[in-house]
Amino acid sequence: MRKKENSKPAEVGVGLRPVHFPRLLERPRTPVRWFEAISENYMDSRGRPLEVLTKIRADFPVALHGVSLSIGGVEGPRPGYLKSLKALIDRVQPFLVTDHLCFTGAHKKNIHDLLPLPYTKEAVRTVVSNVSKVQDVLGRTIGLENVSSYLTYKDSEMREEQFLVEIARKSGCKILLDVNNVYVSATNHGFKAEEYLDAIPNELIAQLHLGGYSDMGTFLFDTHSRAPTDPVWELYRRMIRRIPNVPVLIEWDEAVPDWAGLENEAKKAIRIAREDYAVA
Amino acid sequence: MPSLKVLQSRFVTSAFGEVNAAFTSCIEGGGKLSAAEAVGVYRNGYPARLSEALGETFEACWRMLGDEGFLEACQAYARKVPSTSHNLSDYGSSFPEFLHKRFGREAPFIRDLAVLEWEYKELFHEGSNKALTASALSVAVKENSVLKFGPAIRLLPSKHRVHHLWRRDRNDDTPLRRKDWEGGEITLLYKGGGTPVFSRVIAAPEASAIRSLMKGRQLGRALAAAKGLTAAAARNLFSFISSSGLVTGVS
Repeated sequence: MRKKENSKPAEVGVGLRPVHFPRLLERPRTPVRWFEAISENYMDSRGRPLEVLTKIRADFPVALHGVSLSIGGVEGPRPGYLKSLKALIDRVQPFLVTDHLCFTGAHKKNIHDLLPLPYTKEAVRTVVSNVSKVQDVLGRTIGLENVSSYLTYKDSEMREEQFLVEIARKSGCKILLDVNNVYVSATNHGFKAEEYLDAIPNELIAQLHLGGYSDMGTFLFDTHSRAPTDPVWELYRRMIRRIPNVPVLIEWDEAVPDWAGLENEAKKAIRIAREDYAVA
Repeated sequence: MPSLKVLQSRFVTSAFGEVNAAFTSCIEGGGKLSAAEAVGVYRNGYPARLSEALGETFEACWRMLGDEGFLEACQAYARKVPSTSHNLSDYGSSFPEFLHKRFGREAPFIRDLAVLEWEYKELFHEGSNKALTASALSVAVKENSVLKFGPAIRLLPSKHRVHHLWRRDRNDDTPLRRKDWEGGEITLLYKGGGTPVFSRVIAAPEASAIRSLMKGRQLGRALAAAKGLTAAAARNLFSFISSSGLVTGVS
């Protein structure tokens, strides 16, 4: 067996969820190497959630992942939000700060959903401008995640992957590539997930996400309520061959399993990464 | 294609309020969804997420009102009151009043119970008190001392007895009777030096004394001014204040 030079197998993390707090505070032995915390759950809290995150951070690297930055919103980033996020970053010292390539509201209404953007030059300009403002305030590069979508805009001017890459190139941000989301959107909108993934340059990818979707019969729904499916694992295998040392995350938000169940999915991701690392 | 600003406005309107026909006409549904059905995915998701957030905050109200009544109220509230915060946990500050208007006749206590749950949630996210130990406090305090309280304390007067309803066993489905909620009470919510939130019902004289102390009144005067506070009750109150981690400084 031969190992790739200047590389190491992917470090696998999991989403930090309150249901696992008691187990994690027992400091169990685990192959999980890092945790991802939802930024908004800790930004405004000085209570138990932040206390637990601080304890976890003492033992593990942490990434912060937001859901309400609204980087594609025409109203631009909200100063109060960025101030709270910056304070959390200063406290947690995450190795990566990410959010989603979408918008989440308008007219001061927050829909608390990841609303897809049209793939237009105007949207590229808006996002690039917003990323620049955000990165200036935070003093660091951020990562943006491709979202699952259930609709497309008739007047989009480019493919989603082109939109994603153009924004990353022009703004200097990184890409959090959610493999499950690519599969969900590819199935919903009838494009090839492999072609999408192959169009994303390695150097732009800061992290991979793996999660589970629900088949609603008429469309795939990104529910994060189950383990990644076989097609998603196959896409993951494809990516990890290309970029064997990228951080990988198992995401699970609904019907969250116990710690052992979540750990099993992380172990699977590790196993695949190591297999491909060893035979590469 | 409308501008991005117009498009986003129409999308948000369609998710929150009335579906915007102009928006539907410029999109295509994913999978086998029509454009209208695709908008429906986002439109249905919005109240579902807010209802879930309300359910987490107002768990006892949910138990008291039952699934049907509570969830219908959540859906109606979500359509009426937009979320303006990035944090779902902030949603629902006016929900107690909304519940009162909807259920106040059959459940007169519901607003007080909802306020208690909201304040508990607020305190849960509050920082812990950097409290003086009981021994440090007993050495430092004099009759004319002013006690400094930490941020993690709330005094909640209510017109109905709701603390025991809030703490009621989840599996207890005994129907409530008027005597179960009649009569006012004052609940003290607080954190000590750690993150757990504690609660206790306190008598009016004790509440009066604590309120005075929190306003910066000298200890001896605050206790003396609390109507109905006996000497024994005053000693017990000071003992509680000393040992519960409420006080962060003495001057």
